[in-house]
Amino acid sequence: MRRVVITGLGPVSSIGIGADAYGTALRQGVSGVSPIACFDSSGFPYYMAGEVHDFRPENMVRRLSVDEWGRTSLFAASAARLAVADAGMDEDELAASRAGSSMGTTGGESQVLERLTGDSLTAGLDGLDARLVRQVSSARLSQAVNRELRLTGDAVTLSTACSASNYALGYAYDLIRTGEADYMIAGGADSVGRWSHAGFYRLGALTEKACSPFDKNRSGIITGEGGAAMFLESLESAQARGAHIHAEVLGYGLNCDAKHMVAPNRDSIAECMRLAHRNAGVKASEVDYICAHGTGTPANDFVEASAVVDVFGDNPPPISSTKSMLGHTMGAASGLAAIASVLGIAGSFLPPTINFNTPDPDMPKIDPVPNQARTADVRIAQVNGFAFGGNNAIVMLGRPS
Amino acid sequence: MTTAPELDTETAARPAGPLVLAITGFGVLSGAGIGARALADAVGSADAVTADVSEMFEEPLPRPDAHALVDFTVRDHLGRKGTSFFDRSTALSMVACKEALEDTDLEINDDNRARIGITLGTTAGSAKSTSDYSKDTFVQDRPYLVNPLLFPNAVMNCAAGQAGIWYGLQGANATIAGGPLAMLNVLRYSRNLIGCGYADALLTGSVEEFSPQSAWAVHYAQSIEGGDLPPGEGAAVFVVENAVAVRAAGRRPDAEVLAVEVGFFDRPGPDRAFTEGLATCLVRALERAGVTADQVTTVATAANGMTRLDEAEEAAVTAVLGSEVPRLRVKESTGEAFSASGAFQLAALLARHRAEPARDGEISVITTRSAEGAAGAAVIRGWSRDGGDNG
Repeated sequence: MRRVVITGLGPVSSIGIGADAYGTALRQGVSGVSPIACFDSSGFPYYMAGEVHDFRPENMVRRLSVDEWGRTSLFAASAARLAVADAGMDEDELAASRAGSSMGTTGGESQVLERLTGDSLTAGLDGLDARLVRQVSSARLSQAVNRELRLTGDAVTLSTACSASNYALGYAYDLIRTGEADYMIAGGADSVGRWSHAGFYRLGALTEKACSPFDKNRSGIITGEGGAAMFLESLESAQARGAHIHAEVLGYGLNCDAKHMVAPNRDSIAECMRLAHRNAGVKASEVDYICAHGTGTPANDFVEASAVVDVFGDNPPPISSTKSMLGHTMGAASGLAAIASVLGIAGSFLPPTINFNTPDPDMPKIDPVPNQARTADVRIAQVNGFAFGGNNAIVMLGRPS
Repeated sequence: MTTAPELDTETAARPAGPLVLAITGFGVLSGAGIGARALADAVGSADAVTADVSEMFEEPLPRPDAHALVDFTVRDHLGRKGTSFFDRSTALSMVACKEALEDTDLEINDDNRARIGITLGTTAGSAKSTSDYSKDTFVQDRPYLVNPLLFPNAVMNCAAGQAGIWYGLQGANATIAGGPLAMLNVLRYSRNLIGCGYADALLTGSVEEFSPQSAWAVHYAQSIEGGDLPPGEGAAVFVVENAVAVRAAGRRPDAEVLAVEVGFFDRPGPDRAFTEGLATCLVRALERAGVTADQVTTVATAANGMTRLDEAEEAAVTAVLGSEVPRLRVKESTGEAFSASGAFQLAALLARHRAEPARDGEISVITTRSAEGAAGAAVIRGWSRDGGDNG
């Protein structure tokens, strides 16, 4: 089995595009939440989201024609571009290699489907644009990455909702360590849309202005969007081409609550952490940082914090939520969390949980890294990803040895 | 519960000889009906039988016929309790899982349910559920007046998540959006999960529902690519396990998945780049399966009347396997069902094995392609259940 390392980072987020900008924003605890611009939010009681207003795909992709691809696919391809550039990988050599992509998503191109739905209300189902209809398939997220980079290997879109990036990262790691592929782009992408904004609101899971995970008065998520991509290769490959190694993928765990579609399950999440530790060959006591799923809903954060204490005991490592800054970027969430963790490992800091005001007496043992990033030695980080359907996925990352 | 054992590490570390998946049971619901027999009869018949779907939905449809299960209701199979909010995609998946579990000799209990999971393929989930959700935000008195109970349906992993709950399967639970490639993507993903020791058995399949959205999607695809097959729907779910472990336990598989190879190339077109890509996948699949072209008795293709794609696929198959190997054009019997089509190709081969013991041990190939340039090939060996050692 080959060891697998991350040598390129490609975040496209509301707080920064590219590893440097994203890393700086994480250190500063910037909020990417703003009034919704991509759809008419009038009539919605809440109107904030974590949109990537600065996203200009036409300036980021080189091969894709931006009018042929949906916003989410363009997030994926743009993030992949950034990751390859960060890895310093020669494009022609990459295209000639056994290389592919593994991308996660919640809604896929549901923004395209939403536009078509709107069109059908005026033009009828028989009056739609055929070229737009063909953009609906979520398979296109990973295909956009392969097309943009001329990759001829797997193009896989994991649509396991809000933990999908962790699934995608785990699969890419396996494909490289087992020798199925030599290079993989892994991450995820999603776009803000009316349907999910409405759905989370009616589920009672949306908060009004600011997402405040682990706070006593937390009241829900803010929907967000973006793209995350990481460039993965074997340790030998990275060493042979003299690449800078940001972090090593140590392993991951997957399981399913099999109890409830939307309510998280403490025992199952704790078990997923133990699985991830065992598969990665690490002890709980060796984990220096947990990048939380941390949605900011009362239920998630309590269940997640409780499971952490179940696994780590009374002194768990610091656990912070990037969703406090980004909102919930859905299928990109655990990918952007993984990139934040990699930056934390490489730059020896912990991203903060912003908007934190009041400790929750129900989770007294949790250190959420409140409001300010913190200097810390991060040798091993744990990235939590949970989802509708009880789809738990946890990835373990380590400092390259 | 165990984790990645050493044995699996060794198995998965050999790129030239990947894990062979055993299929130990399956369930299929297609426009041909429910069950393997209905599908075997349909693909063996010269006449494609469609249903009148003109009364199924309020919305207008591009044509009145489809390979759809018009009378299908989930309560007939799973009862009323807990099923009323399932969308069609979820319902079809759940019933295919039920049929597969009834068909396999794998026993699920509290000792192994954490090691058994679900991997399902889709195109974009239930496009109808997601689209209806969007529609409500446009047409309701207030844009947020959507039904919270239906929200999970609008998310793509609904079917796999609900099946995990219904059947109590706590192992890895994954959904892959692959469109025409979904079944092959899912087989590769499942092989990895079992080969690397994350799971011991998986309910592996793919689903597509018939809806106004899917019917119009077929219509618009045909407006670009040609062809006139009616839309289809359904799901097929296969119980997959490590073939070595199945045989070691004295059990007999219905089939072995000897190889699955995929790739992404230029869009199918006159320059033959796509054909060469698909041919590469096919050659690689044969090599990794350890079989030669002359051992292949059937090719289940994705032919659907879309000329550019059909010609590119046929050219690759002919280049690698020759023109004489019989083609099984499954979509002629099940319609264009996007992500379910790959599942129907596999199910049709298995259904024929079940019905025709004379085919025991035969090796078949599945090929598929997408308009975007995705290509894939799988090598399958199957048996009936009429005796023999299935080896």
